[in-house]
Amino acid sequence: MKKQQYKGLDFIIDKLTNSIENVQSGDSFPTEISLLTTSELKNVNSKNGWRFNWSSEIKKPECDIFKLTITNNPNIIQGIVSLEVKPDHVYMHLIESAPFNIGKHKTYIGVPGNLVAFACKLSFQRGCEGYVSFTAKSKLIDHYIESLGAVLFGGQLMVINTPAALKLTNKYF
Amino acid sequence: MGLIKEPLDIDFEVDPRPLTKEEQLAISEFIKEDKAKRAMLEKRPTKSRTSRKTKTTA
Repeated sequence: MKKQQYKGLDFIIDKLTNSIENVQSGDSFPTEISLLTTSELKNVNSKNGWRFNWSSEIKKPECDIFKLTITNNPNIIQGIVSLEVKPDHVYMHLIESAPFNIGKHKTYIGVPGNLVAFACKLSFQRGCEGYVSFTAKSKLIDHYIESLGAVLFGGQLMVINTPAALKLTNKYF
Repeated sequence: MGLIKEPLDIDFEVDPRPLTKEEQLAISEFIKEDKAKRAMLEKRPTKSRTSRKTKTTA
């Protein structure tokens, strides 16, 4: 079952910048990650372009739901991630960028990378040595290997190990 | 601080489903092996350069 592909990390540090960048202007904005509350969910729904049902996700007791916002602009959610702390790693159930951060005309880039780096940081904090796993969409596997240093080891299961997690967290935090 | 830029035509997405018990075990096994592999690499002694003996002539 185990199929390991070890590839060196090969993402480019394009410049020293804050966490997310406006595509049009190139301006960078510092971001914050905090727990998403149920009261904030009223605008996070399919009517507003969100694809996943975060209302049901937030009810799962094993998951913690975090939102990414720009510092001093806490009302506009840039992206959301659902994480579960397992005994030896953090499992990423769901990750979604805000509707305006999806596709060729996205407003900001760097949202998912930022959220994944946070998952790695949480993994370090909870004693899991940075290990993060997730089930990838098959078409994105190569992209995850290249951009995150993730390892594909069976089916669509991918793992970010300690060295890759360190690189990601050092880039953001 | 750096930035991981995703290409404009790519959106990060995961397959939203919980792990099965088998998958959970497989991941744990993988993590164990990965840790062991790294520990081995860290333990491996590095070759140290020894100073060459020079012949002395009487």
